[in-house]
Amino acid sequence: MANKGWDEFEIGAMLRTFDGSIDDIAGTAQEDRSYSESSSYRASVADWRLEKPVFNKDYCIDCQFCWIYCPDVSIIARDKKMIGVDMDHCKGCGICVEVCPTNPKSLLMFTEQADEESEIASWPSKDEEK
Amino acid sequence: MSEIKKIKNLKEFSTSADRFEGANLLCPGCAHSIIVREVLNATNDDLILSASTGCLEVCTAVYPYTSWDASWIHIGFENGSTAVAGAESMYNALKTKGRLKQPDRNPKFVSFAGDGASYDIGFQWISGCMERGHNIMHVVLDNEVYANTGGQRSSSTPIGSSATTSPSGSHSYGEKKNKKDMMSIMAAHHIPYVAQVAPNKWKDMVKKIQKGFAVDGPVFINAVSPCTTEWKFDPKDTMYLTDLSTDSLVFPLYEIIDGKELNITYRPKNVVPVEEYLAAQGRFKHLFKDQYKHMIKEWQDRVDSNWAYLQRREEAKV
Repeated sequence: MANKGWDEFEIGAMLRTFDGSIDDIAGTAQEDRSYSESSSYRASVADWRLEKPVFNKDYCIDCQFCWIYCPDVSIIARDKKMIGVDMDHCKGCGICVEVCPTNPKSLLMFTEQADEESEIASWPSKDEEK
Repeated sequence: MSEIKKIKNLKEFSTSADRFEGANLLCPGCAHSIIVREVLNATNDDLILSASTGCLEVCTAVYPYTSWDASWIHIGFENGSTAVAGAESMYNALKTKGRLKQPDRNPKFVSFAGDGASYDIGFQWISGCMERGHNIMHVVLDNEVYANTGGQRSSSTPIGSSATTSPSGSHSYGEKKNKKDMMSIMAAHHIPYVAQVAPNKWKDMVKKIQKGFAVDGPVFINAVSPCTTEWKFDPKDTMYLTDLSTDSLVFPLYEIIDGKELNITYRPKNVVPVEEYLAAQGRFKHLFKDQYKHMIKEWQDRVDSNWAYLQRREEAKV
């Protein structure tokens, strides 16, 4: 969408989230919806992040605490399984790591530059004190 | 479509397709969007939404983007509730005239507002909606401060909190007035359902939201929304703060039916001292200086007496 100057905005504006029509939004998964240019689903806030969550599925028990408490709809859960983190929309707040109940945690924060595969390979082991 | 969505456990709940999108501009760790997601996912029906001016509105509708996958309107600071009440009236009128294209879809009308837009600026409008008996739900995202404009005090700001218009210092402990009891005021409208919710108790929250959707008439929901910027804590601790607020009974979870029957819906197993809740937040940091230490005991006494009052009301069913 072209950038507009401060005096070129419409006084009232209507934005359409979808191209075309969807009859049952609540029954359509996000990847099956045809988002229009004006949906923030098409935008990214990845550059807000200083640290990123890394998901290690070996320890995940699919409790979905991270899904319900994620403020940015960035935990992708399909068919009752947690399948990953949406890195376009994650702001790196770290709530998912805090609420993760497993030992060791199946989500941990690493710096944005960290290599996911090597971090998963050197994942911390079980903390006996907890 | 109008039957209540079955949500037995979190796994089942997680199959919901979100109708609120990421890449909104809310702060990392903001509880607003957690509350909004829990409300929207509580139903499969169509939604007609509004938001009053506040963090939620300015962050989810930044031209040319919108973060909402449902009909959503914003007009002004005060009239989010009346905007959605107007839509509800129009819907009913068209339904009566038989001019709806899909009359069996049964949409839900929800208005979101911050505490500033509900406790202060939009108070008269909300009161009007409640009195006229529209079939709407008003959800307050209560972060106890005007967070969007830089942390001015609102009438929801609790005593002792440092806000930019009531700062703490050598002569003041910050905000002097205690929080407005909005729950009682709304219950006094004798509307069918008034409830206080917290996003960490998602099951309690979803149950209350579904109850609110099921009743015929106006519903008022007050949701505690810890604000990482103005309460001054680390973004990752949002859920910890919410846990503290419910377990210290600063935000007791209860519902009032028809303005007459009060039910407490969550009793913490281990009640946390209020001191712990205050200590976790930067806005209460000054209360731990010798000069203002007496405030902590006052806080505890007030929270205790409020909890005793709620229990008495529940027992007496009034």
